[in-house]
Amino acid sequence: MEFLDLLMLGFGEALTPTNLGFCLLGALLGTLIGVLPGIGPTATIAVLLPITFYLPPLAGIIMLAGIYYGAQYGGSTTAILVNLPGEASSVVTAIDGYRMAQKGKAGSALAVAALGSFFAGTVATFGVAIAGPMLSSFALSFGPAEYVSLMIFGLLAATVLARGPVLKAIGMILFGLLLGMVGIDASSGEERLTFNAIELFDGIDFVVIAIGVFGFTEIIENLENVEGRGVLVSKLSRLWPTREDFRQAWPAVLRGTGVGTFLGILPGGGATLSSFCAYSLEKKVSRTPEEFGQGAVAGVAGPEAANNAGAQSSFIPLLTLGIPSNNMMAMMLSAFIIHGITPGPTVLQTQPQIFWGLVASMWIGNLMLVVINLPMIGIWVKLLTVPYRLLYPAILLFCCVGVYSINNRIFDVVLAAGFGFLGYLFRKAKCEPGPLLLGFVLGPLLETNLRRAMVLSDGSPSVFFERPISLVLLVATAAMFILMVLPSFRKTREVAFREEEA
Amino acid sequence: MAAPRKAGGTGDRPDLLTAILFVGFGALGLWAGRDLTMGTAAAMGPGYLPRLVCWLLILVGLVVGGIGLFRAREDIAFPQLRPLLVILLAVVGFAFIAEYFGFVAASISLLVIGSLADRESRWREVILLTAGLTAFGALVFIVGLGVQMPIWPF
Repeated sequence: MEFLDLLMLGFGEALTPTNLGFCLLGALLGTLIGVLPGIGPTATIAVLLPITFYLPPLAGIIMLAGIYYGAQYGGSTTAILVNLPGEASSVVTAIDGYRMAQKGKAGSALAVAALGSFFAGTVATFGVAIAGPMLSSFALSFGPAEYVSLMIFGLLAATVLARGPVLKAIGMILFGLLLGMVGIDASSGEERLTFNAIELFDGIDFVVIAIGVFGFTEIIENLENVEGRGVLVSKLSRLWPTREDFRQAWPAVLRGTGVGTFLGILPGGGATLSSFCAYSLEKKVSRTPEEFGQGAVAGVAGPEAANNAGAQSSFIPLLTLGIPSNNMMAMMLSAFIIHGITPGPTVLQTQPQIFWGLVASMWIGNLMLVVINLPMIGIWVKLLTVPYRLLYPAILLFCCVGVYSINNRIFDVVLAAGFGFLGYLFRKAKCEPGPLLLGFVLGPLLETNLRRAMVLSDGSPSVFFERPISLVLLVATAAMFILMVLPSFRKTREVAFREEEA
Repeated sequence: MAAPRKAGGTGDRPDLLTAILFVGFGALGLWAGRDLTMGTAAAMGPGYLPRLVCWLLILVGLVVGGIGLFRAREDIAFPQLRPLLVILLAVVGFAFIAEYFGFVAASISLLVIGSLADRESRWREVILLTAGLTAFGALVFIVGLGVQMPIWPF
């Protein structure tokens, strides 16, 4: 069978010593930053992006992916043990996980979280393996008009599903699009929006913006919020869940996996949204909803399975269509581009080892993470006591070296500092920086396809409505917009995100 | 950040700041791209989309600001200048020192200046951390990964 052959090819790639090593490194780093509050996967990947340039393409991408899903495992550890979600996606895990820990069932909660995540990771890996080739052969029939509609749909859906006010998110996307236009225009060769600075002729580098807005801004923000964090680590009991816990957990894991795999594919979806939705789903279907918030096993198992599944299935749109669905995937996209690979339907055919190697490494990485997280839990808990004042200098140094090394020039570092300041202003204005990155990476793609579509149609916008796939996507976009305006939907969305932040 | 104070009156300050930023950057983009040719829809010039995006950005900014004016008053916590200025200064300093004096000098200055941003920093820790990270950085980034930067000033 062809599918099995390809999967074997993938495992062959993923099991080479180099790739295996970087997979382990990514999983370890992911767990580490997942455990440590104040450093998230976005900032870490931004810092490591320039370094992946020195690695073989697949190894670099495997490592970055490992950081993303590894952080989902690590984040749950701190959420359960100290009620301090290491990642946004484990916020809901803290609700019931911490209560379980207080009742002396910390080990059980950790094991359910890790095993549930592993199961979800396995299923989501297969999801990527099956959906990938299907979607990409579908996407090969896309013309410029379809791509434009798909990107508009993706960008707008991302604002609706992500947290924060929609209008501000749209503004941030537009600003990102504008930043993406800086430099020499590909079709006319004219330089634009560069203020005559030669350094800007090649455009702004993605790493400069990512490190500025996620690296520097986060350090500054974390230093502003000096708060006494009383770290009280719950005692670890037996690690293996009881039979009763198992019985309650496995249906929740199944549901969480389904929710996560599905939501991860949607633009703007991913780990955080998935875990939140899984929690409310568990609460709804449970026969004993009053137990939620008091240490319900299902309240840990469902969201944990969902965030891991969501983290992995959000790779599907990136790998098959070349469209990143959230800021993490925007980072991954630029990791591909650093190596001259443009993700999309053609990669599956021209470089199958990249796609299948990554898929296989995800499963291997999940297996490693179970080992990293369960028997070695004690080490990670100790790390929690490391204060931020010892951590941020290291992040600062990595950020600076990373930005400098792109082109070896002062200009990039100063520009990144500028973006750090800008990111700070945007935080003060309560604007999420994620959509900016999405707009920035999709900008050039959107512009090329839009111009191409308009040339083909001789300037008539009707081309977007005449082609069926494009029409469907635009109708979906319009429907989403109408939903947003409806007061009842707006209220549910606000409530949903308020609960998530609580 | 301290919890935003809820005072009487109207005007959501974060929204108003958003409006200023969006309108400002939109206008800046229009000004920077004032000489670009528009072209037609069928043959878009380099200025077509930038102008469109800038106007949309200004529009979104105005709407956010307009709504913000009438919302309940919310203040922005006064920024703490120390971490902001110290970190940005340390970063810019790193770039210039790295260019002319090499990695070791740049890293030491970055880490020592950078630790001034946190009031909790202790000198003994800073010295040990600086020494360790500088050595680690020189070995991993410059020797190991081959980042083009001299290690020593000479």
